[in-house]
Amino acid sequence: MSLKTDKPPMRSAAWRISLWATLAFACGTMVVFVFLQSFVAGDIQRRSDAWLSGEVEVLGDVAERTPKDALYGRVVGEVAELAAREVPNKEASETASNDSVFFLQSGVDGSLKLWVGVGNGQDHLKAIRATEIPPDHPTDVRVPGFRVPFRVACLRADDGSHIYLGLSERDELRVLRSLRLRFFLLWLLIVLLGFGIVFLTTRRMLSHVQKITEAASRIGHSDLIARVPTTKRNDEVSHLALTLNRMLDRIESSMHQLHTITDSLAHDLRSPLTAIRGKLEMSLSTITDGEQIDPIVSVIDELDRLTDFLNKSLDVAEAKADALRLTRSAVDLNELLRVMIDLYEPSMSERGLRVSLQSSGPVRILADAALLHRMVANLLDNELNHLPANRTLTIQLRGKEDTASLILEDDGPGFDSEVLLHVFERRVKGRDSSGHGLGLAFVDAVARAHGGSVAVSNREGGGARIAITLPASPEPSSHSQLLASSSSN
Amino acid sequence: MRLLLVEDEIDIQSFLRRSLEESGYQVEVASDGKTAQRLAAESSFDILIVDLGLPDQDGISLILRLRQLGLTAPVLILSARRSVDDRVRGLEQGGDDYLTKPFALAELLARLRNLLKRNSSAAGEATRLRVLDLELDLLRREASRGGQVLQLTQQEFVLLEYLCKNAGRVVTRSMILDKVWGMRIQPDTNVVDVHIYRLRGKVDGAGQQPLIRTMRGVGYVLKDR
Repeated sequence: MSLKTDKPPMRSAAWRISLWATLAFACGTMVVFVFLQSFVAGDIQRRSDAWLSGEVEVLGDVAERTPKDALYGRVVGEVAELAAREVPNKEASETASNDSVFFLQSGVDGSLKLWVGVGNGQDHLKAIRATEIPPDHPTDVRVPGFRVPFRVACLRADDGSHIYLGLSERDELRVLRSLRLRFFLLWLLIVLLGFGIVFLTTRRMLSHVQKITEAASRIGHSDLIARVPTTKRNDEVSHLALTLNRMLDRIESSMHQLHTITDSLAHDLRSPLTAIRGKLEMSLSTITDGEQIDPIVSVIDELDRLTDFLNKSLDVAEAKADALRLTRSAVDLNELLRVMIDLYEPSMSERGLRVSLQSSGPVRILADAALLHRMVANLLDNELNHLPANRTLTIQLRGKEDTASLILEDDGPGFDSEVLLHVFERRVKGRDSSGHGLGLAFVDAVARAHGGSVAVSNREGGGARIAITLPASPEPSSHSQLLASSSSN
Repeated sequence: MRLLLVEDEIDIQSFLRRSLEESGYQVEVASDGKTAQRLAAESSFDILIVDLGLPDQDGISLILRLRQLGLTAPVLILSARRSVDDRVRGLEQGGDDYLTKPFALAELLARLRNLLKRNSSAAGEATRLRVLDLELDLLRREASRGGQVLQLTQQEFVLLEYLCKNAGRVVTRSMILDKVWGMRIQPDTNVVDVHIYRLRGKVDGAGQQPLIRTMRGVGYVLKDR
């Protein structure tokens, strides 16, 4: 299971990067499109103005040449109708009558002389009167009853009358509207496509980073054999992977050196210890005199304590260098504690101590069971050695989503304040302690090797409190696997 | 029983040889891997003890090599290393066993016995154990002495069962911790002793012959004679 699926895509870096990139891209293309649109709009305006100016001149010419008789109105009207059919950007009108163009001639007195168009033309004349229309320069005129303004060109005839040719801007606006719509759809398509491409490529790139992160987190404190995956591409991400791997090489070699030193130290000390112990045991089997047995028995006991001390101090040394080797398996802390308390309870009650476990059920973690056994044995040995009679030891086990916490509380004298400051250091022990002072340093070492921690304090009402926190698994992603496997059992 | 001891430390060699011979083994000794291979090729052995740190080669490589050459006898691995490495674990799953130095002789002998038992017979476990007048019903988890049923807790029964199965032989505290509680720890308190005292209080009643004996400096033994 990868981390990717645990996290919604909205919270990934790829999402944020592509969001910002797309925003910048969208703004840029929007500016380009706005500029294009205004350019096209200006061009269309100029073309229709040119047409209007040309047509009004033709009409003026026709009006001037045509004799002012009964036929005048029809001839000019006919010409105006013809002109109206050549309107630029014209859309096939649903109605038979053409309401997008009008021709209007006003007399010297300003009265309507000739009208070609829909309606009677009075509204148009009134609107034109209200607007100053310079010759040779078409101007917008709003006519009541029409939503869209007319573009009106004006020509002053020699007889003092004015000829007006109006063209509704409806068609022009329609063209622009459809242009804008297409622009917008195109823009949306490009932006979405751009977002998709950026998102996919960054996610692909970042998934390499993600893989490196996952691999790096799998490389635990002590497992240094694994390496992060590298790609053949010669980019920043593959450089990162290569650099990490080189760093791991160096760490592994120094770790290896440490192991070699501790192993050979252990070996060199253990071989003579084995020989001494063996010889003592051999002599023990031949002696029957009780007085002679005593010193031999106590030497064997001392040897065993020395061996235990050797093991613990090497473990503590390795743990301090983050080099303690773990063999992890699924461990139920609740079960482990019950068994250990069962083992220690008779000795405790013999000394007048009570021990109780408060736990709400199984707490499964991935841990080194042998080290945890030794850790808990250490804690219980400590209590057994230091707690005065008639006291109570309470052990609480709490399992949260991804951590387990183990809290030991007693109502004894607590820690000396000087001891409390250096409690995890080797060979620090209380004045009356008979131990070798490794106990809590070892507990701390085991917790740290598992990626956890230990907090030691004195309780307010008196007594010691030791709180151990252990992560459920070395990396977050395998935790759910553990839960899955434990629930299926 | 023919036993091949592969160990380079002279001191360890000599006391192991003596105590193994006292326990009835016919012991051949090899100080390095080469000699061990030669001896294993010349004659057959019922069991081997191999130290991991040999002067000429790694103990595990030697075992794998011997296995390739057709060795079927079980191997008890002796290790002075602190952590049990994965290859040893692999061998352990393959039927061999390991012991870290320093060890108690009683434990070494017990492990050898276990390996040989494992190898020779897969006969069904007995459902009743009987040691003198002590009787254990393993199915009903009930113990009685001289016909009198003993009031034992679950844990005490397991402990007594373990002692009975090893009746007449010494078991150490760490063997008890390993087999009865399933943990390899070295407590610096007398936790095992207290369990034994309690069990003794129930098994060896007043006026009865004491069965559970303390072997000072070594461990405990359940008398079978």
